[in-house]
Amino acid sequence: MSNHAATAAIDHHHDHTTTTGIPNKKLFMWAFLASDCMFFGALIATHLIYRLHPVPGSQEPQTFFSIELTSFSTFILLMSSLLMALAVNACQKGNVPAVRRMLLGTIFFGCIFLACQVYEFTHFVHLGLTLSSSMLGSTFYVLTGTHGCHVAIGVLWLVMMYVRTYKPHDGAKGSKRWPFSSLLHVLMIVTAIVFTTWTVLDATHAILEHGFTGEAFGAYLGHGLIPLIAAAVTLVGCRLMARSASKENFGEANAIDVESMGLYWHFVDVVWIVIFTVVYLLEYL
Amino acid sequence: MSAPATTPHDSHGHDAAHAEDGKFHIFVQIAMLLAFITGVEIILIYLPLPAWLLITALAILSLVKFLYVIFYFMHLKWDKVFCTILFFIGLILATGTVGALMAIFSVQDSVPVGDVYQQEP
Repeated sequence: MSNHAATAAIDHHHDHTTTTGIPNKKLFMWAFLASDCMFFGALIATHLIYRLHPVPGSQEPQTFFSIELTSFSTFILLMSSLLMALAVNACQKGNVPAVRRMLLGTIFFGCIFLACQVYEFTHFVHLGLTLSSSMLGSTFYVLTGTHGCHVAIGVLWLVMMYVRTYKPHDGAKGSKRWPFSSLLHVLMIVTAIVFTTWTVLDATHAILEHGFTGEAFGAYLGHGLIPLIAAAVTLVGCRLMARSASKENFGEANAIDVESMGLYWHFVDVVWIVIFTVVYLLEYL
Repeated sequence: MSAPATTPHDSHGHDAAHAEDGKFHIFVQIAMLLAFITGVEIILIYLPLPAWLLITALAILSLVKFLYVIFYFMHLKWDKVFCTILFFIGLILATGTVGALMAIFSVQDSVPVGDVYQQEP
């Protein structure tokens, strides 16, 4: 069956086998996101209330916020949303290689966002803003940290979906060892992400301390060599494991799984749109 | 494989297929628009305008970004209206809760008291 004929056979927005006409996975995800709205609403309200009634002498956020870094993070998350939407679109057309590329791109941008947040939190802690140092610290870290946890869960979900695209058909070569190989593949990618992020953050700190000099390179290699080697080895491992040995059991029929995951990822982006304005931009007025 | 006979359902399917092709361009254009709006938001905070005007402008721009993402990237525009209703129930409850809490903590009786709040800044 051609791709075009297959596209005509599946209606991705309606499911005539359910009483609502909506695929159950999609309905569940919308119900979950509606409840998550209330969860974030409570956290945002708490932050706003304590910002409107600050304790005299408390820290002023605009003195240590970096609007450049936060704007960069926002742009990255928006672009990850675009790639996620394109991944769903590609899956609905049955274009598995494009789905993989878009998922990898989304994972990459999600990791950049997380690395920026780790860098920002580390910077703030060095400046004295901790979870228990002030009411601002408590509400800021709980709100942005909860959002960061959502992003991290989203990245893990994306990694699992990416590995799922390599699942072979039942009875095909490699199908018996699929539970083990898929777990190993997920662990390999997660390890690669951790070590690569570690390496990039180490390099960033070295450049910020010493500038673009040989001294920065020496300082970086002094304590960043092991994570660099580990990142290189795990990235090569990921590349080797990403070669499918047989025809994969993944295609247009799995579009609803990718779309449900996409809904979660876009929601994380939507929450950041609100946080970016309420927590960061309003502080500069 | 022989060509399938054309039925109303198939015709609907072909329309859907063309719509899927057009989505790629829509998504890219919306992403560019969202990036542009984000840039405008950042420029706005440096402009010497009244605070109420800036807050209103930022709120409207954020709302526009929010609606574009949920209706296009999250497919609400193409899905059954029940998905929109379900999500907006949670969204309205959340917005109402934020508004109610802000209103409660804005009245004089809710202003924090105690030695720590009496100190000069």
